[in-house]
Amino acid sequence: MAKTVDKIKVTMSLGSPIVINGGYMTLDALLAGIIFDQTGDIEKAHSQIPLANSHGLWHGSAAIVEKTDMGRTAFVANLRAMHDLDHELIAKNKYGKVHRAIGLTRRSDFGAVMNSYKSFSAPEITWYATGDAAKVEALLSAVEFIGKRRASGYGQVVGLRIEDGDLDGITGHFGEPLRPVPVELFSGDKTALKADTAWRPAYWHPTNRAICFAPEVV
Amino acid sequence: MNTFEFFNEHFGRHLVPIEGEPHEATHHALSTSHKLLKGTVSRLSSGWAIVRPGLSSVQLKLAATGLKYDTRTRIESFMEELDTWNGKEPRIFLMFDKAPVPISNVFLTVDRRLVRICSPAGVETFNADVPPPEDAGGIQKAIWKRKSFS
Repeated sequence: MAKTVDKIKVTMSLGSPIVINGGYMTLDALLAGIIFDQTGDIEKAHSQIPLANSHGLWHGSAAIVEKTDMGRTAFVANLRAMHDLDHELIAKNKYGKVHRAIGLTRRSDFGAVMNSYKSFSAPEITWYATGDAAKVEALLSAVEFIGKRRASGYGQVVGLRIEDGDLDGITGHFGEPLRPVPVELFSGDKTALKADTAWRPAYWHPTNRAICFAPEVV
Repeated sequence: MNTFEFFNEHFGRHLVPIEGEPHEATHHALSTSHKLLKGTVSRLSSGWAIVRPGLSSVQLKLAATGLKYDTRTRIESFMEELDTWNGKEPRIFLMFDKAPVPISNVFLTVDRRLVRICSPAGVETFNADVPPPEDAGGIQKAIWKRKSFS
């Protein structure tokens, strides 16, 4: 039977600056996001990532980049009050109703908001992992942009390489963490940086946080 | 113990009953009104707090017992805490404002090299052992400036 799970090194070549905004952008997070985009199924996105998993920890490193330039970018977003909003998606007050209706007269109710982001340029972005190389390649090869503000042209992917790797996606050559690893699951260098951070998808959800040994944020 | 269990155990339980999921109780403590010492009620909408095992500190004079009321500025209190903290037990550094601090902005600080100041506007993250870089946030710069004059 063919071996399907192995140590791999994934490299993406970037054609435009990328916006990550202070996270780790682990390979499992990226793959989960792609699966969700393709299936719309949150359960599948969090359970069918083609990487090894031990005690709930996916064997995919944080993104490793060598930044060549850093910058800031800002976008103005307008709330369009006349568009239909699904009230099910909005937080309710204690009476079970949405907090207030969107006004159509006061500028503060529907005016523009500006969101700013830190961006950086890098020729390549690399991950180490233990997983099924063919399935990882199938998912990543469908991706044209990664990171935030993809629809605005940031994080363009112009090349993908998947090679044999020599790291498992969790600890580096000197025992340093390659991704957030909860303290009780980490067997590497215990002098590494410790942080209260998410260690499994959904990474945005505060309940998935724990005290972890972690690398520097990207 | 995760972030929200730590917050509830050492701060939240003095303000609200701890019911449901830990993050729900934390949200409740940070977003509802509490009785003040002067008799009126207010949300945690100004000042600061430091959550620590034992006795947590808060600037707003709440009626609740079990918390230490401290009139110093946030810079003075955060600076002293970082100077005296041995790094063994976690801390939560909070700055309050008109809007409640969302639970997504509440983080434990467990390492001097990654201090997190939590506020409604976001989280300022810095290494307490090195001078602030050019693009550092306001709290790190203010603490370092005060340190260099003391």
